Amino acid sequence: MTTTHPTATAPARPGPAPTPGTLPLPAGTARAVTTAGAVLTLAATFLPWTWTRAFPGNLTVTGYPGGLQVLTLTGALLVLLFLASGHGVRGLRWLTPGGTTAPLVLLTAGTFATTWYAAGAISVTLGGVVNLEPGAWIATAGSLLALAGALGLPADTPAGTDGPSGTGAPAIQRLRHSLQAPAPRPARALPDWAEILLIAGAFAVVLYVFTYGIATEYGELFVGFLLLTGCAAPALAKAGLIRRVSRLTARHRNVSIAAAFVAAAAFPFLQSDNQFTSIAANILIFATVALGLNVVVGLAGLLDLGYVAFLGVGAYTAALVSGSPYSSVGLKFPFWAAVLTGALASLIFGVLIGAPTLRLRGDYLAIVTLGFGEIFRIGMQNLDGISGPAVTNGSTGIPQIPDLEILGFNFGETHSFLGFDFTRSANYFWLMLFFTVIVVSVFRRSDSSRIGRAWVAIREDETAARAMGINAFRFKLIAFALGATLAGLAGTVQAHAVSSIDPEQYKFVEAVPPNSAFLLAAVILGGMGTVGGPLIGAALLFLIPAKLQFIGEYQLLLFGVALVLLMRFRPEGLVADRRKQLEFHETGQLDVPDAKALAPVDGNGNGTTGGPDGPNDPGTTGPGKAEG
Amino acid sequence: MHDLPQQLANGLILGAMYGLIAIGYTMVYGIVQLINFAHGEIFMIGGFGALTAWLLLPSGTSIALALPLMLLLGMACSVLVGMGAERFAYRPLRGGPRLAPLITAIGLSIALQQAIWAFYPDAKKARPFPQFGGDPIDLGAFSIQRGELFLITAAPLCMIVLALFVSKSRTGRAMQATSQDPDTAKLMGINTDRIIVTAFAIGAAFAAIAAIAHGLKYGQVDFKMGFIAGLKAFTAAVLGGIGNIYGAMIGGLVLGFTEAMATAYIEYIPGMELFGGGAWKDVWAFVLLILVLLLRPQGLLGERVTDRA
Amino acid sequence: MRHRSLLVLTTAVTAGALTLTACGSRDDSAGGGGDGGSTTVVIGVDAPLSGKLSALGQGIKNSAELAVKTANKNKEVEGVTFKLLALDDVAQPGTGQQNANRIIDNKEAVGAIGPLNSNVAPPMQKAFDQADMALISPANTAPELTQGKDWRDGKKVRPFKTYFRTSTTDAVQGPYAAQYMFEEKKLKKVFVIDDKKTYGAGLAGTFKDEFVKLGGEVVGTDHINPEDTDFSAIATKVSNSDAEFVYYGGEYPAGAPLADQIKKAGAKIPTVGGDALYSGEYVKLAKKNSEGDIATSVGAPLETLDTAKTFMKDYEAAGYDLPYEAYGGYSYDSTWAIIQAVKAVVEGNDGKLPDNINDTRSKVVEAVQKVSFEGVSGAVSFDEYGDTTNRQLSLYEVKNGTHSVVKTGEYKD
Repeated sequence: MTTTHPTATAPARPGPAPTPGTLPLPAGTARAVTTAGAVLTLAATFLPWTWTRAFPGNLTVTGYPGGLQVLTLTGALLVLLFLASGHGVRGLRWLTPGGTTAPLVLLTAGTFATTWYAAGAISVTLGGVVNLEPGAWIATAGSLLALAGALGLPADTPAGTDGPSGTGAPAIQRLRHSLQAPAPRPARALPDWAEILLIAGAFAVVLYVFTYGIATEYGELFVGFLLLTGCAAPALAKAGLIRRVSRLTARHRNVSIAAAFVAAAAFPFLQSDNQFTSIAANILIFATVALGLNVVVGLAGLLDLGYVAFLGVGAYTAALVSGSPYSSVGLKFPFWAAVLTGALASLIFGVLIGAPTLRLRGDYLAIVTLGFGEIFRIGMQNLDGISGPAVTNGSTGIPQIPDLEILGFNFGETHSFLGFDFTRSANYFWLMLFFTVIVVSVFRRSDSSRIGRAWVAIREDETAARAMGINAFRFKLIAFALGATLAGLAGTVQAHAVSSIDPEQYKFVEAVPPNSAFLLAAVILGGMGTVGGPLIGAALLFLIPAKLQFIGEYQLLLFGVALVLLMRFRPEGLVADRRKQLEFHETGQLDVPDAKALAPVDGNGNGTTGGPDGPNDPGTTGPGKAEG
Repeated sequence: MHDLPQQLANGLILGAMYGLIAIGYTMVYGIVQLINFAHGEIFMIGGFGALTAWLLLPSGTSIALALPLMLLLGMACSVLVGMGAERFAYRPLRGGPRLAPLITAIGLSIALQQAIWAFYPDAKKARPFPQFGGDPIDLGAFSIQRGELFLITAAPLCMIVLALFVSKSRTGRAMQATSQDPDTAKLMGINTDRIIVTAFAIGAAFAAIAAIAHGLKYGQVDFKMGFIAGLKAFTAAVLGGIGNIYGAMIGGLVLGFTEAMATAYIEYIPGMELFGGGAWKDVWAFVLLILVLLLRPQGLLGERVTDRA
Repeated sequence: MRHRSLLVLTTAVTAGALTLTACGSRDDSAGGGGDGGSTTVVIGVDAPLSGKLSALGQGIKNSAELAVKTANKNKEVEGVTFKLLALDDVAQPGTGQQNANRIIDNKEAVGAIGPLNSNVAPPMQKAFDQADMALISPANTAPELTQGKDWRDGKKVRPFKTYFRTSTTDAVQGPYAAQYMFEEKKLKKVFVIDDKKTYGAGLAGTFKDEFVKLGGEVVGTDHINPEDTDFSAIATKVSNSDAEFVYYGGEYPAGAPLADQIKKAGAKIPTVGGDALYSGEYVKLAKKNSEGDIATSVGAPLETLDTAKTFMKDYEAAGYDLPYEAYGGYSYDSTWAIIQAVKAVVEGNDGKLPDNINDTRSKVVEAVQKVSFEGVSGAVSFDEYGDTTNRQLSLYEVKNGTHSVVKTGEYKD
């Protein structure tokens, strides 16, 4: 790993001369080593990795990979495919329109991580490395070899654009450099139908990967899945595929949106197990609420720490008019009326909380919403006829909320259709999906409207926005109330899907979503101000606690630490909004339309310490107050 | 209403508790304009630091003797965590968008709470804290518990010391300068980074004192005591005018007073029978907060400042 | 040429791998038991295994596991091996619902133990009812779970015929304490406080109803937020009322400081509460001010029952790192009830389980309704609502820093 070539100052060489990789290997050797490693890894997945079935997934079969082996197999296959593509094999070149080395480094790293994790998990679970069969040894060696080879491949971009990266540069700098990829070359124009087919294909792949993740049966498999997809996704981005697809989707916007929801709606067809559709339905509820919060936090820049209370308002309202025997109202509204009532109730609370606080400095909103979250819970607990009017049944809550019945379709029953059985959760999944569509369209509409631009202006600099004639208070109140309404909307479905609500479900922080802290985290993790971000963030935050029961008591600790690290190293989230990315990582330029500045930043948090003159620096323009 | 004096005393003592936590909170806010949500957890860690000192001492040590040592270790723990948080979590975000440090603060708050829960021995349930023995001191109309003496002394003392420090000492004046305009302060030769970390350290030290007062009064410390305490202390700070040290104490007293009165008397108001007692006191405190924000947004003692979100 | 061959190789490998993955019938679950000819039967457990209630939840899980191990070791049911599927619900109804679905989806599962929290129960009850599968809670105390929402007015209707519980309800524990305080301690005036949670508010409610019915007087009521530590205002209220004792519906973490502050405020009267106050921690936290306080607990003291002694010994021998806690015994009994039900089903079906899992499940429900055995907490059987017929209760008073038994008896309406 040390720098062994003290020669050649890189910038001296003009033109697209290849820059050496992290390991000093000749390009041909590196490619051969990677190939050999990947083939070895691939072959090893057909051998048994351990001797006993005590390790989940049964890795004892010869000639038939299972469990974690399948993940390694997938990783190795992807490595080989990208290797071939990078080498210019005809018919595969479409795989790497952008970089070739960067995706390979990431993919080999993913394969390596998954394989070594599997070997480690086997050793730990069964107590010692003696439990590894030769297959596992070959696989670990092979994946290491592949990684080493990939690290030796020459970088995609010429040296010198981002500091020292030639042979004389430190290894870490060269690694960072070899992870950079050029923008994809322009795609050949295809007929419309072909492009639409490609979009459909891309969504099908995403759906398949997502379904696989949800249906992982045990924690080890889920960790392996996270490791592999965590490396494969940026690899695809480096290869330029994601940008290509997003260009296609941008061209066929309506088709893409339809395709996305068709893909989501197809989920219950792929999963007959009630448990997984139930997880998917809950993810959808959580994600939809997170998207609603994204209007408040991501678009308008208001920190709402009691957002789950608005979900609760919607849920309680819907439960009260659901006809549950425990409801004090005793009315049974049709569902559409219940939804409207729930949304209206949330809207009213949103205005009640927002109106006095949004006139003040932003920080006050944080504390008032945090307080409101607690007060909502206390209030619901108290309105039980003993310490307050009999409305909510106190801490017992409102159980036995009947299943919905819309136009004779009972959501509580299993329906058969086209030979598939659709369980209760599948029904609610679809209902929730319908609301997700509504929320997504509200989000997109408002983002690109006059209101959305006003929000951005207020978020960036309220004083300037006011000077431009924007009524900041009004627009902030609209954002806050709109967010509350969307949460109320989701709450009405949640009440029916869970079939029982009580005050303890609506807390500031709890081990499982939805709660205010997790909702906020889903928005931040996914990416503020984007549609996809909160959906991905919510899925991750939901699945990680659900799948990894073994982290059990350290879950919240990890959650807190992750939040701190995330803000430190990737504050723009996984799916970065262009504007946010520029805001969080000062590039020194105001607007950089070229691809490099917009590519995902490799986590150096560049620029955050750069200077106190950021556009939003609280210290510089804030009229501080003296003490005493 | 014959218990009014006692209820007043209850409320004011509880309020002094809130105020004592709030003065550190408000000072940090005054300087960096950051709601340090983790302040409640720094407070809690001070309590556990003090408990550790007590547990390390041979059993049977008199609490009066142990107190200085408990104060020392409690403050050391809090200050360490407070400075660490500033140095590694907040400082890198300074100058970035405003939302970032707030979210960091929430993450930090959860992480610190859970760290104590997971790693401090036996901290999954409340741990008993040493207490002063002896009967309550009877003052005629009302009485005061021995465990509250520390709080009653510490609260005004800490407030005055901190206020004098900020307004009179050299470092304090540098803090004021940093608070008003960090750039100009820098140009005047003030090491603002050092000033800010000092502010965090001082805030944390006062939080530890508050934690010991809390432990002595209630006879226990537990990992989640910081959340509610932090929430209440911040409310107190906002009530009094955020950034103002005297305001924080006044806000605390008002808040404690409101809670005690709400618990004791609201149920006697005709028509409010169902909205009194301990079940609703937090709601009334919240209503008070909203009212103050509506009628006097700068807080009871705050100066009117131009609004910026 | 070289390129072509690489492509061919890639294609071949891909095709080969896909073929292998797609066809064939690699079966991961069949024969999972692995010990020749024996049928595996899964019993689900749902409890908070992490979070602040994890100690209670782990106690439930470990005790259920102990029951399963014992059954397997003794070959309690010939030809059946029991297996546990323990899931964490973090005390949230939504998670409980997902766990219920997961247990129901398991085609070897015949019944489940749990949950701990009364608010987690409703969605699980519903799911298990739809699947016609037995759910036995070792810890739910809310009466409406088995007796319907109008149980207070005597209109008891069982909402779910697949739901049972081995713990007694608030409707037994609260009145028992009321009878004792009124009839034996001759105290007529009480101040009732609760924490507004399902358990605490329920207990306080049933206590109050019975105490008033007996002729006692409730001189005041109030509520606390169990997250708080300052109860001085309420303590002053108590000391200025002429209450002769305090009844607290809630758990010890708030109960202990409450009792402490009441005595400090000058009211030298005992605090009485349910089994959630019956904990060594209560005495540790309230210190000498806990002296004279009373807690009821369900069942006879464990030391007096032979079955319980065996359980305690076995639990210790199994080497769990956490104690069985308050609900371990009930969890063991609940699990044992399912095991006994499976046994009954096997015996009634020519020595094997029915082929159809749905048949087995509904037969197990019927069999659970009829079980009767000597369990850890006493005689275990269920009445027409699914409640335990065991109405044995004990009263403990704090004397010299420990809870000592003052009375053991049967509750009568």
